[in-house]
Amino acid sequence: MSNSVPFNLDPPGTYIYDGPASTRGYKLTKFGLSLRNPENRKTFLADEAGYMTEFGLSEDEIAMVRARDWTGLIKAGGHLQSMLKVAATVGENLWHIGAHNAGMSAEELQALCPRKVTALPGGDD
Amino acid sequence: MSRVIGGFGISHTPSMGMEYDKGMAQGFDPRWQKWFDGTRRLKQWLDETKPDKMVIVYNDHLNHFDFDAYPTIAIGVAPEFRQADEGWGPRPFPSLVGDVDLGWYMTNKLVRGGYDLTVCQDLAIDHGIYSWLPYVMDTPWDTPIVPIAINMVRHPIPTSERLHGLGKAIRAALEDDGSNDRIAVVSTGGMSHQISGARFGIANETLDEWFLSKIGNDFSELIDLPQEELMRLGGTEAAELALWFSMRGALSDNISEVYRYYTFPAITGCGVIVFDDHAV
Ligand SMILES: [Fe+2]
Repeated sequence: MSNSVPFNLDPPGTYIYDGPASTRGYKLTKFGLSLRNPENRKTFLADEAGYMTEFGLSEDEIAMVRARDWTGLIKAGGHLQSMLKVAATVGENLWHIGAHNAGMSAEELQALCPRKVTALPGGDD
Repeated sequence: MSRVIGGFGISHTPSMGMEYDKGMAQGFDPRWQKWFDGTRRLKQWLDETKPDKMVIVYNDHLNHFDFDAYPTIAIGVAPEFRQADEGWGPRPFPSLVGDVDLGWYMTNKLVRGGYDLTVCQDLAIDHGIYSWLPYVMDTPWDTPIVPIAINMVRHPIPTSERLHGLGKAIRAALEDDGSNDRIAVVSTGGMSHQISGARFGIANETLDEWFLSKIGNDFSELIDLPQEELMRLGGTEAAELALWFSMRGALSDNISEVYRYYTFPAITGCGVIVFDDHAV
């Protein structure tokens, strides 16, 4: 478990959410945002795969949601804020997503945070 | 004319809101106690200055809007704004009071002035406002607000220059509105943080404190900075700092800093800075 935080915006450190990501993840993001509605949360929890099929998600996408593969979902264009609604619905939270992204357990990540760095624009990183 | 009596910039995060609710029920976690204590001076400023209205530049986090239609800049024009359900259910707080007349007035002024706003007559508001408001204002929240929502969730986001100009246009509109209201202009956005990718949890307190030291009188240095620099050094969501330029743009050069506070409780740098505006 490493605490080095690179000063660049490249994967896997960072996934910039831009237009192409938004297109790639349009259905995934839409599915996650549907869980802003409490009725939909109940329906989803009663039959996860069935609910996602109705949203037109692919088999791969459904499998990633079922496996709580937060990193895969973000790479597939699921917006973090939308995947956070999925996490909330299944009893997880931002720490679980972050820990999956950072390759450690939520407890390990919590112990590591805040991951302090010191740098200013124009300085040596 | 209305008068901009001052303004403040403040961080927001979902946990800030949840920790407030927990803190009030059973005492604050020590890390959040610091933030609670650090916001007392802003609460006092609001209690003393009692602005008649507030214009709040914030961002939604896919809690009201979705990608079927995501506005780059939007204004809320409605008698009230309900709280958004972010997935955990709403917190025990009232809706926010809107100001329809001022909202339409500003819509006219800003659109005619070159800011093509999306107008929302129904707008649910998320932790962008609900997380910090309980710290600085007692309920009932009866000070009318005009919320302006800026896209910060998908790139491209508006440039720093443009957001500063939006603040200037807000001030120009308010100065011309034919009333005698005393108005505070607020910007809210997270400071250094990143909540996805392996850089999750990055915390650059040096960057945040540097930003706070510049936003008053040396803000042009910040505006000239590529937003990618803020993101590279402070995490992707540090781009939300660009929202603070609207508050600064709405203030004159004749300002004094009332108070500044900064702490880093968990995932997001939490800062607040308050200015009085002395220009008449
Ligand atoms: Fe935010």
